[in-house]
Amino acid sequence: MLARDAENLYWMARYLERAENTARLIIKISDTLLDIPNGASLGWGTLLKVAGLDQLYKEYYDDANENDIMHFLIADERNPSSILACVKFARENTRTLREMLPEDLWERINGLYLYIQNNLQDASKNRRNKYMFLQSIISQRHAIIGLIACAMEQDLAFHFIKLGRSIERADMTTRIMDINYAISLPEDHPLFEITMQTLWAGILKSLSAFQTYRRLKAFHVNMPDVVDFLFHEKRFPRSVRHCLAEIEACLQLMPQSEKIIIATNSAQTNLSQLNTKAMNLTKLHEYIDVSQLYLGKIHQAIDLVYFRAYETQASVQISA
Amino acid sequence: MKISSIEYASVQAYDELLDQHLRPRAVAKPLFDYLSSLDEKELQDRRHAVEATIMAMGITFTIYSDAGNIDRAWPFDVVPRVMSRREWEPIQAGLKQRLTALNMFINDLYNKQQIVKDGVFPIEVLKGSANFRKQCVGVTPRFGAWAHICGTDLVRDSDGTMYVLEDNLRVPSGVSYMLENRQIMKRIFPELFRTSTILPVDDYPTQLYNTLAALSPRNGEVPVIVVLTPGIYNSAYFEHSYLAQQMGVYLVEGSDLIVDENDVVYMKNITGLQRVDVIYRRIDDDFLDPEVFNPESVLGVRGLMRAWRSGNVAIANAPGAGVADDKVVYTFVPKIIKYYLDQDPILQNVPSYMCMYDDQREYVINNLDKLVVKPANESGGYGMLIGPRATQAERNQFKELILNNPRNYMAQPTLNISTAPTIIEGQLAPRHLDLRPFVLQSDNLYATTGGLTRVAMRQGSLVVNSSQGGGSKDTWIVEEDI
Repeated sequence: MLARDAENLYWMARYLERAENTARLIIKISDTLLDIPNGASLGWGTLLKVAGLDQLYKEYYDDANENDIMHFLIADERNPSSILACVKFARENTRTLREMLPEDLWERINGLYLYIQNNLQDASKNRRNKYMFLQSIISQRHAIIGLIACAMEQDLAFHFIKLGRSIERADMTTRIMDINYAISLPEDHPLFEITMQTLWAGILKSLSAFQTYRRLKAFHVNMPDVVDFLFHEKRFPRSVRHCLAEIEACLQLMPQSEKIIIATNSAQTNLSQLNTKAMNLTKLHEYIDVSQLYLGKIHQAIDLVYFRAYETQASVQISA
Repeated sequence: MKISSIEYASVQAYDELLDQHLRPRAVAKPLFDYLSSLDEKELQDRRHAVEATIMAMGITFTIYSDAGNIDRAWPFDVVPRVMSRREWEPIQAGLKQRLTALNMFINDLYNKQQIVKDGVFPIEVLKGSANFRKQCVGVTPRFGAWAHICGTDLVRDSDGTMYVLEDNLRVPSGVSYMLENRQIMKRIFPELFRTSTILPVDDYPTQLYNTLAALSPRNGEVPVIVVLTPGIYNSAYFEHSYLAQQMGVYLVEGSDLIVDENDVVYMKNITGLQRVDVIYRRIDDDFLDPEVFNPESVLGVRGLMRAWRSGNVAIANAPGAGVADDKVVYTFVPKIIKYYLDQDPILQNVPSYMCMYDDQREYVINNLDKLVVKPANESGGYGMLIGPRATQAERNQFKELILNNPRNYMAQPTLNISTAPTIIEGQLAPRHLDLRPFVLQSDNLYATTGGLTRVAMRQGSLVVNSSQGGGSKDTWIVEEDI
């Protein structure tokens, strides 16, 4: 398989996953604004940091406010992680890959892109429209995953899609988990307890994890259990552990994957060192940063081994 | 479906399907019987089904405009162009004859230049050729074939004669539309294929694969074949992707390939480098290799010409094949056929005047209102003058152009090119068309059954190029009832 095709497949999957999770992130932020009581506040700057977009945002906007940030996350093409930009990139990548993807996939992705373009304005009119718009993006993305799962032969192309999707999903799960870090609420606030419970439940809901959490983990929602669940629950498909297991299973079926498997195993070892007992928001934030670095190392290994394989092949001398 | 007799009365051209009394010709009789059995609504439904199919199959081409590049659906007319096998077979033979001679001509030009020495082909024409590549001198590709894929444009004049309008020997496109048009017709009008014997066209990808595979420099191994595309922003990207998929070969861009110091071409795979044997390139010579041609090119591959000259990779069409794809060289093709094959040409050239010769130039300048003037090296219908329809100012401008660079221009009488009934606003109206068959040559010769019929959708227009608003029709070569 061509290295460029592999790279395009991988990024197509990452962009689509990022678009979906950015929609989830925005829904969560909007809910949070409704859930926090007087006396608490949401730090917009911190939120951007959580999303990993604070530097980029500063280049284009003066201050961090809700309207600008929403536009930046949804529709600003200068932000390569905005929903619009992600879907556009995924669409461009798909165009170069049509001969190796299920026939309808291009139409689906093209359809999603056109939907976003046609509905951007309506979505920004009010919260209800925005919510419907984001939900529709998530469900259209699910149709795309369904098509890949049901109609695509499980060859190398499929594995690259799965790798991209799983890495991005693990990364975005940690970012969404980190949103509460942006809340400032004094611990002696009379509504502290109940608010934190609502906020953690909100995180579970935004990741479609609430039901599973209740069934598999605990009835009561508290930070240590939620964090433990979202990192470790291997039966939940958006948990970091589940994503890493998917990556490893994929790599076992792929050629020359030893180095990437080692990087994946390091990330898994890091996972088992997480101690949720003495956890607070700051410690969690630091731990999430570290986890993202481990995911980054898996990406670097994939990039080096597959997308740049020709550079390291010593047997052939390329003349300048 | 009603025939627009008013529009038909206003054109004096030969119609492919209707005689002068607007009755269907014998070859089109079953088609017309069928069409007249459909009521207006039924036909409308089918046309909508066609449009939906085209969108769903994603058959598009890209139009470049100031408003950005847009993907446009391929305009398709459901009334096919029909020709009998009896008429087609000599044309097919003529196409093969022509390409055989042209390949011998190209090979001669890059080697002994015997045709020049024998005084059949003037040295000054060769000297003025923009497409003669000195980097190709001394090379003889396998089977002496340079143009492996040729798209020859044919038109029919009012007396019914088929003429060759031009030979496209560089990177001719359109064959995917020929294949897709047939798929669409089969899907939407299956009944038609039961009642008539329409010869199939679908073996083209296999024939193309065989043509390319025969060029592989590594005998005895399954050749690694790639289609080299400029990328998604090229207007024919759909076709590049389609052909790669149909042949089961790789679709690559220049940046996917690399040439090592032993002049071997590799592609960058996920597990390292894989040797490439045959490149079906869909980028022009100029962009092929920045080491040799345009140094600014980012579409090509550095060192590709070294690899080709060393015989380590086959390139189709070979670099430099365009030397015979030149509207001035075109005028010599009948002589070229006679010279190399000692045969009379089966297919006729349109009579042409070459502005490089004083007497012919004088005739052209004095008769600009009757002639079509074409620059030697343009394609896609750009930069021509259609004399009878031009303004005096345009004609004056061309007079200047010709006098400044006579070698670059040739002129032909305005042909009254044929029409076929085309659905326009619910009626069958005459629209002008041409035909582009595709001819292949490596160890074997092959010509498509029919080809791509391109139709000028605007009333009276003679320009069929898709970049300028042309559409297409399915082309049927049918077995006549005996």
